[in-house]
Amino acid sequence: MENKLVVSNKFKMLTYVLIGIGVLSFILGFIFDAKRTWANYLLNNYYFLMLAIGAAFFGAIQYIANAGWSAAFKRIPEAMVAYIPFAGVFFLIMFFGMHSIFEWTHDEVVQHDHLLQHKSPYLNIPFFFARVVVFFGAWTLLSKYLRKISLKEDEVGGMEYFHKSEFYSKVFIFVIAFSFSIFAVDMLMSLEPHWFSTLFAGKSFIAAFLHGSSVITLIIIILARTGHFDLLNRSHLHDFTRYIFMTSIIWGYFNFAEFMLIWYGNIPEETSWFVHRWDGAYKVLFFANILINWFIPFIVLMPRKTSRSKLIITPVIILLMIGQYTELYYIIWPATVHEAKFGLLEIGTFVGYLGLFAWVVSTWLAKANLVPKNHPYMEESVYHHF
Amino acid sequence: MNKEKYMLGVFNDEDSLVEAFEKVKARGILPVEVYTPYPIHEILEGMEKKTRITHAAFFYGLFAALGILGFLYYAAVIDWPLQYGGKPFNSFPSFIVVTIVATILSITLLTLFTFSVRAKIFPGKKAEIFHERATDDKFVMVLDKDSLGENAAEIDSIIKEHGKIE
Repeated sequence: MENKLVVSNKFKMLTYVLIGIGVLSFILGFIFDAKRTWANYLLNNYYFLMLAIGAAFFGAIQYIANAGWSAAFKRIPEAMVAYIPFAGVFFLIMFFGMHSIFEWTHDEVVQHDHLLQHKSPYLNIPFFFARVVVFFGAWTLLSKYLRKISLKEDEVGGMEYFHKSEFYSKVFIFVIAFSFSIFAVDMLMSLEPHWFSTLFAGKSFIAAFLHGSSVITLIIIILARTGHFDLLNRSHLHDFTRYIFMTSIIWGYFNFAEFMLIWYGNIPEETSWFVHRWDGAYKVLFFANILINWFIPFIVLMPRKTSRSKLIITPVIILLMIGQYTELYYIIWPATVHEAKFGLLEIGTFVGYLGLFAWVVSTWLAKANLVPKNHPYMEESVYHHF
Repeated sequence: MNKEKYMLGVFNDEDSLVEAFEKVKARGILPVEVYTPYPIHEILEGMEKKTRITHAAFFYGLFAALGILGFLYYAAVIDWPLQYGGKPFNSFPSFIVVTIVATILSITLLTLFTFSVRAKIFPGKKAEIFHERATDDKFVMVLDKDSLGENAAEIDSIIKEHGKIE
């Protein structure tokens, strides 16, 4: 069963063009409005890292749960995870823009702020980047190793590599859960260092899982549409949408729980975060987030029929991708740019990252058999039906 | 329940049940009921039974949620407005928690009652047991003797081939 994906030159050219647009927007952005461009840089870095982390989590869960149905699709999360080292490099480059977006990096501000002084043993630039290096090092090493055993399994077969994958998935899941929570706090919550929320890490984590699994589904639908994944049937689709459905409910639950407790408790240091997001465009975004990320997937994907139809799932996933953007925009913009600006710069930079992500995923998909060969659950996955 | 009316095919394992089931279905006869220790795909689909209880549950949930929200609004805003720590009377976010919990309770109870009514089950009802070991470790297929018609002898041999007749 040799089934290798051949990436057409047209598609490659398209990704290069998109990357070109992104680079161009960044150059122009840095010339005209550096602060806003760094905010864009952070948002897009985090956006696509979320997809990779979500995919890593998805893949690890399949091994840990001994899931049979998803065995044929494991190459897609693997290819998405390959983006992690790229994101790591980008996050290190952010070193040059720290002063534009993070308030706590300004010494003169910290000197006059008791709370920031108190937090400075944790929030300082050397330790911040030490964490970035350690986290990305761990994610890259583990994901590369998992990929290596997964490819070995294709050649050799047998149960040995499956057990190994299962064990390292367990390690990976703990590492991700711990490190990505801290990472989200570092990157997003420390934009407003006076504010804190215990649920923030959990919320970011489940958002990554939600958007990661929906993009996995989108890529599989695209592959099936272009004739590379004939074995995809409606039961597989149903299982994928169960993931989107379930995680969007948890997303809604976490978001609501965070907001409701802060609203009801009404403690000034907690409410400040929401107060200056409570007018103009940000208020619209607050409700749009709930509508896009929870309400629409929840209602649309509830019936059995809709969650098995590509025609309905695809628009929902594209909507969720927009929802992921608005969610991050809602977190990052009020803290950095303050005014809600959205223009060609935002579109250009996003498109650039999209091109890079598409290039990474397609290249890594083409590197191995699209459908794994010796996975012990392969047959169960092909005949999956319920 | 008149046991004379029914014919029971008792099987030891899933494979023989499914084979016999499919052969019987191929003769155009649908068993009245099949008892298995665990759900089996082929049987679930082959029995051609569709349930509407999920739709009922959805509407119970919808109306329960609206009703509970309406009641909370009536109680907290219209009938007996009270000031709690400077919150508005209609403190909507805090209503949601009660609504979720109470909606789950209403759905569960109402669906349970609906199911019991439709399945004609009530407390103190005498259990209809076709076979003592059905759903224990045996696979039991119940056939209506009237529906067999001319095929009776053939069905007999099919069941005997894979299991026993009791």
